[in-house]
Amino acid sequence: MLFYLVKRLGLSALVIALVVLVLFSLLHLIPGDPATIALGPRATPEAIARYAAKMHLDEPVWRQFLIYVGNAVTGDLGVDVFSDRNVTAVVGDRIGFTLALICASMGWAVLLGLPLGCLAAVRPNSWLDRVTGVLSVGTIAVPSFLVSIWALLIFAVELRWLPAIGAGEPGDTMDQLSHLVLPAFAVGLSWVGYLARMVRASMLEVMAEPYIRSARAFGLRPRKIVYGYALRVAILPTITLIGMGFGGLISAAVFAEIIFARPGIGKLIYDAVMARNFPVVQGAVLVATAMYIGIVLMSDLLIAWFDPRVRESL
Amino acid sequence: MTKPTLSRRGFLASTAAIGAATMTTGWPTMGRAEMGKVLRVRIDGDNNVLDPGFMVGGSEVEAQKQCLPFLAEYVQEGDTFTWRPTYYVTKLEQSEPTRIDFELAEGLQWSNGYGTLKASDVKFSYERMKDSDWAGYFDAMDHVEVTGDLTGTIVLNKPFAPFFMVTLCHGPGAIVCEQAVKDAGGKFTIDFPAVCGPYTYSATPGQRVVFELNPEWTGPAPGYERVEAHVITEVKASELAFDAGEMDCTELSPDTLARYQKEMPEDAGITTAGELQYLWMGMNTEHPKLQDVKVRKAIQHAVDVESILQGAYSGITTKSNGIVCPGLLGQRSQTNYSYDPAKAKALLEEAGVSGLELTLRTLNQQERMLTAQIIQANLAAVGITVKVLPVDSGPFWEMGMESKGDTWQELELWLMRYATTPDPYESTQWFVSSQVGIWNWERWTDEEFDRLYDEGIAETDTAKREEIYLRMQEIMDETGAYVWINHEPEAYLHRADIKINTAPSGELNYRRFEQM
Repeated sequence: MLFYLVKRLGLSALVIALVVLVLFSLLHLIPGDPATIALGPRATPEAIARYAAKMHLDEPVWRQFLIYVGNAVTGDLGVDVFSDRNVTAVVGDRIGFTLALICASMGWAVLLGLPLGCLAAVRPNSWLDRVTGVLSVGTIAVPSFLVSIWALLIFAVELRWLPAIGAGEPGDTMDQLSHLVLPAFAVGLSWVGYLARMVRASMLEVMAEPYIRSARAFGLRPRKIVYGYALRVAILPTITLIGMGFGGLISAAVFAEIIFARPGIGKLIYDAVMARNFPVVQGAVLVATAMYIGIVLMSDLLIAWFDPRVRESL
Repeated sequence: MTKPTLSRRGFLASTAAIGAATMTTGWPTMGRAEMGKVLRVRIDGDNNVLDPGFMVGGSEVEAQKQCLPFLAEYVQEGDTFTWRPTYYVTKLEQSEPTRIDFELAEGLQWSNGYGTLKASDVKFSYERMKDSDWAGYFDAMDHVEVTGDLTGTIVLNKPFAPFFMVTLCHGPGAIVCEQAVKDAGGKFTIDFPAVCGPYTYSATPGQRVVFELNPEWTGPAPGYERVEAHVITEVKASELAFDAGEMDCTELSPDTLARYQKEMPEDAGITTAGELQYLWMGMNTEHPKLQDVKVRKAIQHAVDVESILQGAYSGITTKSNGIVCPGLLGQRSQTNYSYDPAKAKALLEEAGVSGLELTLRTLNQQERMLTAQIIQANLAAVGITVKVLPVDSGPFWEMGMESKGDTWQELELWLMRYATTPDPYESTQWFVSSQVGIWNWERWTDEEFDRLYDEGIAETDTAKREEIYLRMQEIMDETGAYVWINHEPEAYLHRADIKINTAPSGELNYRRFEQM
């Protein structure tokens, strides 16, 4: 297990190193002079020179790369072009909002998707299975930005049950939760469908296994068989899916954060791209990537922990 | 020990009870804030640099207007924008063409214990601007003389008529506290080191900026006790927030302005701030295909601008007749050419040109692409084949610059939009001979135009200035290098019981908002 952990950590570090290289290259691959692009067409030559010096753009490219990597390793992601704030602090201010949104979205999707998948698998081809199937495909097919807009129009504009914009009053938990409902609904909806379909398929496969037949023959209660034995095995591919899904949720969160005007890492990246604030783009993408890699790593470790076969094969 | 059990009925009852309790107690109520207390507006991003010398502009200027002193402010008289002294001065007058005398009002306090507002603060604020990112606004200023605690003179190095409108009323004209800025290290970014205005300032990055009543302010009270400026990147999200009752005032995008004008929400109004942007199609007068002025004039006659205004801008923009925008001195009522495809064909025939193929470059943006496509159809009708080439902003803004490569030599047609300040001089500065290869991408020169540019800056007589700028635009038309298209408005949707106040360039001034 320890060897497996070390191997996975090494691979994760390699992926992050590649991401750093790509992010650094982006600045130089975009057509045009980086300083002019960042400061706008009417920037004075003095402002462009100041920017170039601040960003080390007047140094050779290899040296710029080494400076960037050296700083990133120590947690220094550079300085915001405009506000002079440390990018690590800027990203730190927003990451909590994105994590809250992603966890809430995946949380309610898991709470609803898993039981739906189990129920559909227990009674295959029943009306419940068919309804769940149609709903699942429906929710998977609708993109989250569309759900965001519909949810906003229905629940905020028309019914005025829930707030439309922002993250809520700082320090007021109920207000912050109320501001989380619509974005989490919009981001998580398609995952309800994904998870239900995934769990159903896995469960059907597991329920046909001989050991489940044996359990039935021994007269164990159906609930015990489904949740105690079958789901424990059927959940394994779902854990991988959830882990991978966090990456997708980070992308979906960008739309939700823009539409609901929520602070978050997705909106930070979007705003920084619009403002050509390259250090913030690089820092925020790097943190988002590291977050994603961390979650995938955790899901792999969870699978190893759940499944003795995986543990033994390591 | 008993094992806890949950029956179906128990679950339903518990869920209903929790739901009811949540709805009746802690769940926040939506809707509008209390009248007269809170004003909720939109800003399109965080204020990253509040320092007038190094700001980006936009909402940072809005913040400066609430928290820092200015000597002059914009005022709209009928359809025209002009200026007047602010509450901060008891005197602001041009004693000589190069001298502007001022006297500050007594007893206005800086926050954080920095004492009263003094003439030395004005001197410090304006003289430091000459070494700032906004130094261009102070090119005409030589220095500031302090003649007393509250009195002084701004000395110009040449007569410069636009100084009041362009410099003193706008963000670069903000006055900062000398000692506070020095204590902050000579520059500040996300917070003011000291304020002297009706509001204090606090920001939560990515979320909002809050302006609250400044307890040390002795000037006129603003209309609202608290202003919450929410960071909403997308204007359409802000429009939805207005519809949901969570915003009191928001900017409108051009495409939705038309929809709101047709179906105005209940208790809402629209105010147009200014139209200080001008869009045109430019032609490279040095390009072999466009060297003949008859060909360029044929193109002028071939483009149906009215159909662009309706087709690409839903009829909400003002037709342009030149570079001077509506509400400014020197705005023209018509151009030297009109839509006349027959005349266009005749001019092409006269020039001996047939089967002409041209490339029209434009920013890859919805309205601009629609405009390009309409022009493409218009020119096809007179026998000119146009290829529309969408370009991203990085290369677009460099394509006419000689210092950025050779694209300027290939330029034929392009759609260009400039924003300007509320004085005609700024619009004209980009087309003088020295700008060829920089911003004068049409690459024509005219001695009379250059001379008039200098005269327009120095002339203080309004009628004479107007004549100068009208003539300059005639000269531009005569080059045949321009098809003037439109001026986009800065429009705001707001509650009907609010009278909003904006600068001509669209920055909101919350302190001058009124409840009706």
